[in-house]
Amino acid sequence: MSFVKCCFEAGEGHDFLDSFVQKCTDPGCCCGCCSALRPRYKRLVDNIFPAIPQDGLVKTNMEKLTFYSLSSPEKLDRIGEYLFQKASRDIYRRRHGFVIIAMEAMDQLLVACHSQTLNLFVESFLKMVQKLLESTDPQLQILATQSFVRFANIEEDTPSYHRRYDFFVSKFSAMCHSNHIDKVQRDNIRLAGIQGLQGVIRKTVSDDLVENIWEAQHMDKIVPSLLYNMQTAEKYDTVLCMEGGAGEEEPARLAEACLRELVGRASFGHIRSVLRPVLTHFDRHELWIPNDFAVHTFKIIMFSIQAQYSYSVVEALMQHLDAGGSGASERDYTRVRAARAAVLSNIVAIAAGDSVGPSVLEIINNLLTNLRASVARDSEKETDEKLYQEALINALGEFADHLPDFQKIDIMMFIVNKVPSSQRANKGTKADCMLQSILLKSLLKVGTTYRTGELSKAFPAAFLDALLRVAAAAEPRARALLQRILHTLLDRRGNAPRLHHATVDVCELGLIVEKCSRQDLIFISKHGYALFSSLYEGLQLESNMMENVEAIYTTLALICIELGSEETVGDIMQLVLAIQQSSLSNPVLSVAQQCQLQAISISLAALVPHVLLLPRLADYIHKIIVARREEAPHLLPPLREEYDDLPPAKMPNKLPYLMMDQMALCDMLKAHGVDVSRLSAASPYSAGNVALPHRHSWLEAGAAQGRDSLAEITAPGTELDSANSSPGVQRQTQHDDLDEEYRMFTEKYNHNHRPAMQNFGAYRSDNDFWHWGHQDSRSSEHDMRRDRKHTSGGSQSGVSLEALRRAAGGPTGAERRDAERRRATLNNAFRTAPFDQLLHITQPKYEIKDKLEEIFNSISEEPLLPQSGPCSPAGKSYQHQVPPYTKYFPELFLY
Amino acid sequence: MEDYKFLFKVVLVGNAGVGKTCLVRRFTQGLFPPGQGATIGVDFMIKTVEVDGEKVKLQIWDTAGQERFRSITQSYYRSAHALILVYDISCQPTFDCLPDWLREIEEYANNKVLRILVGNKTDREDREIPRHIGEDFAQRHGMYFLETSAKEAENVERLFMEIAVELMERGGVMTHNFTY
Repeated sequence: MSFVKCCFEAGEGHDFLDSFVQKCTDPGCCCGCCSALRPRYKRLVDNIFPAIPQDGLVKTNMEKLTFYSLSSPEKLDRIGEYLFQKASRDIYRRRHGFVIIAMEAMDQLLVACHSQTLNLFVESFLKMVQKLLESTDPQLQILATQSFVRFANIEEDTPSYHRRYDFFVSKFSAMCHSNHIDKVQRDNIRLAGIQGLQGVIRKTVSDDLVENIWEAQHMDKIVPSLLYNMQTAEKYDTVLCMEGGAGEEEPARLAEACLRELVGRASFGHIRSVLRPVLTHFDRHELWIPNDFAVHTFKIIMFSIQAQYSYSVVEALMQHLDAGGSGASERDYTRVRAARAAVLSNIVAIAAGDSVGPSVLEIINNLLTNLRASVARDSEKETDEKLYQEALINALGEFADHLPDFQKIDIMMFIVNKVPSSQRANKGTKADCMLQSILLKSLLKVGTTYRTGELSKAFPAAFLDALLRVAAAAEPRARALLQRILHTLLDRRGNAPRLHHATVDVCELGLIVEKCSRQDLIFISKHGYALFSSLYEGLQLESNMMENVEAIYTTLALICIELGSEETVGDIMQLVLAIQQSSLSNPVLSVAQQCQLQAISISLAALVPHVLLLPRLADYIHKIIVARREEAPHLLPPLREEYDDLPPAKMPNKLPYLMMDQMALCDMLKAHGVDVSRLSAASPYSAGNVALPHRHSWLEAGAAQGRDSLAEITAPGTELDSANSSPGVQRQTQHDDLDEEYRMFTEKYNHNHRPAMQNFGAYRSDNDFWHWGHQDSRSSEHDMRRDRKHTSGGSQSGVSLEALRRAAGGPTGAERRDAERRRATLNNAFRTAPFDQLLHITQPKYEIKDKLEEIFNSISEEPLLPQSGPCSPAGKSYQHQVPPYTKYFPELFLY
Repeated sequence: MEDYKFLFKVVLVGNAGVGKTCLVRRFTQGLFPPGQGATIGVDFMIKTVEVDGEKVKLQIWDTAGQERFRSITQSYYRSAHALILVYDISCQPTFDCLPDWLREIEEYANNKVLRILVGNKTDREDREIPRHIGEDFAQRHGMYFLETSAKEAENVERLFMEIAVELMERGGVMTHNFTY
C-alpha cells in the first residue's frame, strides 16, 4: 500500500512508468533514444522544437502538446516549468532561435488553456518573461514584452494575491528610457517598454486585490517614463480623445494613449498619486518654460480623467504653483510660477463645467490666496511677478467664464468680500493697495464673463453694498476699476464702449436703448439712492483723476440708458443738478475737477432726453450747450486733465447763466408729464457729508432699501417713511398731522356708514409695518395715502371716482405749500437746534420696561389691527402703542 | 538555469560621468565601452555570481546621473539591497556632491540598505581626491569604501563580489525573496 502511494506521490515516477509503457513514436524527436525514458509531457515539449531553429515551431506536435495540457491540466505547471528550464538553458547558450520557439509555445498554451487552470501555468510563464527581459538582447526583451501583453489581455477569474509586478514595472520603465544606438531599435525597445507598462496597468488596475499599482514606488516609475516618451514628440496637438490604434507605432503616441488610460482609470484617491510624479517630472525636466508640453499634458489629463474628479487636477496644480523649482534662480522661479499659472488658466475651463458646490469656491479661494501671496512677495522682478498675477487672474476669468451665471454672482460676492477696504486706515499699505487692485481686476474679469439679465439678479443687495463700499476706496485707481466693474454689470446692450468719454452729441453715438423692465424699476427704486449717492460722493473726492470722473460718467450714463423711465428721470435729473451744484460749492475740488463735473453733468443732461424722448428738455439743454460752446467751451466735454489757462472770469462759478436751472428743468419735465416732485425738492446730496465714510448700519440699509432719502421727507405724502431717519421730531409732527387727518377721515366715513372704509382704516393703521416689509407695494400705498389726504382736504363728497382721479393727478397747490412749510420747520429744527436739544427730542419717551411690556402686549394681541376700531382716534393708538417696526428695529431707539 | 539561491538588487548612483555604466558593463560583460553616452533614466543588467558554492543573482540597476532624471532614479532606491555611490577621483565636484547624495539615499532608500562608496577612475593621472579623504568620508558615514578603475578592470569584480558576500551574511532573512 505504502509503495503504491509513494509511487503516486512522486509524480516523476508515475510519469516514468507511464512513458515506459508508451513508445516514442516520433522519428524527428531531437532527444533521440533516451526519449523513451522521459515523462510524457517532457517528450511532448521536446517534440515541438525543430531540429534547426529556423524551421520554427513544429505545428502538429504543438497541437499534441496543447491537447495533452487541455486533457490533463494538472500537468500544466510542469510543462511550464520544463519549457522555462529549456529556454533558460538556451538563453545561456545563446541559442535564441529556440528561446523564441519556447516563448511561442508558452503563448499558445496560455491562450488555449482555460482560466481556472491558468494560475498553475502563469508562474512559469512570468518567470520565462522575466528571464527574457533580463537578457541583454533587445530582440528577446521585445519578444518577452509581447508575450506579457498577450498575458495581460487575458482575464483571469482567480486573482493571484502573491503575484508581484515590481520587476516588470522597473524593467519596462527602464526600457522606456532605452538609449540604444540604433534609432529604430531604440524606438522598438521604448515601444515595448510602454506596451509592457500598459499591460501591467491593465492587469492590476481592475483588481484591487492584486498589487496596488497606484503606490508611489510604481507611479514614480511609470508616469515619468510615459512623459519622457511624450515630450520627445515634435509637436503636440491635443485632441479630446484618441482614435484607437492610429499612430500608436510611435512611442510618443503610444505613451500618450497609455497615460490617458491610466488617468482614465484612476479613482479619486489615486489621482494624486498620478499627478505628483507628473508635477515633479515637469520640475525636473524644466518643462514649464516653454509650457506647450505642460499644457498639452494637462489637457490630456483633463480630457481623460473621470469628469467628477477634474477639479482635483486644478487643485493639485494650484497647490504646486508655489512649489520650489529645481534649484533655479529666483528670477527663473518666478517665471516658472507664471508658466504654471498659465497652464492652469488653460485647463481650468475644462474643469469648470463639472465643478459644483464647494469645490468651485475652493478653487477660487485658492487662486485668491495665491494672488495674495504673490502680492505679499512684492518681489523686485515686478514684471515677472505681474505676469504671474495676470496668469492667475486669467485663470480665474477662464474658470468663471464656464460657470453658470448664478455662480458667477456668488464668486463675485466672494471676491469682493476679500477686497481690503483701504478707507478705514486712510492710507493702506502698498501691498494692500496692490491686493485691492488685483482683486478688483479679478472681479472685473469675472464680471465681464457675466451676462446681466435682470439687474436685481446681477446686484443682490449684499453684493451691491460691498461694491459701493469699495467705491469709496482711497486709491483713485481702485475706484476707477470698480466703476469698470459696474459698467460690465450694468451694460446689457453693449453701450459702454460708446460712452467711454463724455460727450454732448448723444445722437451720434448710436446707442441702443430699450424700454426699462418692471423688475429693473423695482430694483432702482430699492437701490437707487444708495447707488446714486455713492456715485455722487465718488465725484466729490479731491483725489479724483480724470479717469475717475469719466468712469463715473460712464456708469451714470449706463444707468440712464438701462433704467431710464419716467419714474426715474426725476431722480436722475436731481443727481445731475446736484453734480452741477457741487462743482460750484465743493471747496476741495480743483478747477479742473470743477470743469470736469460741469462737463459730465451737461453730458448726462443731454443724454436723458435722448433716452426718454423729451424734446423740450432736449431743446433746453441744447440751448445751454450752444451758449457754453460760445462762451465757455471748458464747461463742455471732452474732458481735459488741465484747465490751466482759464481766466478768473471764466471760472464755473462766475457763469451762473450757463448753468441748468432747477426750476426750468422742473417745468420742462412737468410739461412732459413727468412727476417732478422729487426734482423740485431740495437736493438730498450735499457736498458736506462727502468726508463721511459710507456708514453701514441697519439705519442706512433700511433707508437705502426703502428709498427713504431725505428727499422723500420733503415730498408730500411720504411722511411715514421718514420716521426711521429721525424718530422723535418727525414722528411727532407727522403724527399730529396724521392724527388730525385720520380722525377726520374716519369720522367722515363712519358718518357715511361705509363699512368697507372701516377695513380701509384698519389697513391704514398698520401701514408703518408694511412700509418696512414691502417696499414693493409702496407705490400703491402711496396713491392710497394721497387719496386719503385729498379727501380729508375738505371735499365733502366722500370717496368718489372723481376724488380718486384727482388724487391720482397729484397733490394740490395748497397741499404742497403745506408740505413745504412742514419741511421748512423740520429742516430748521434740525439745523438750528443745539445737539442736546435734538437728543432730548429724539429720545424715546418711554422707559425700557414699559416699552418691553408694550411690545409683549402687542405681540400677544395679535393681530396688529387696532382693537379700538376705526372710530377711536388713531392718534391714541400711536401714543399708547409702540409702532410695530420698533420690534424689528430697536436700534432706532437707542439714541 | 534558474537555480540561484539569493537575489540581490544593487543600485548605482552618483553624479553624471563618474563611470557608473562602465563599472556595470565591465562587471557584467567584461568590456569597457569607450565613448559611452550618458544613461537615460535607468539601465538594467543581471549577473549571477557564485559565493561559497551558492549562486547569487545580482540585479544591477544603473541610474542616470543627470539631475533631470532624479525623480525616476529615486524611485529605484527603495527596493535596493545595496547602493553603490560612485564618484570620480579626478573630479572634485563629484566628491563634493556626496553629502547631497547621502541625503537622497536617506530619504528614499530603505534604512538597512548596504551603502558602498566607490572612487572610480583610479587609472587617471590627475587625481584630485586622495584615497584617504574618500576613506575618511566613507568611515564617517558608515559606508564601505573601495577605489576602482572600470577601464583597467581594477577592483570591479571585487566590488560586486564583496557586496554579494556581505549581503549574504547580512541577509539570511532576505534569502530568496523571489519577485517578478
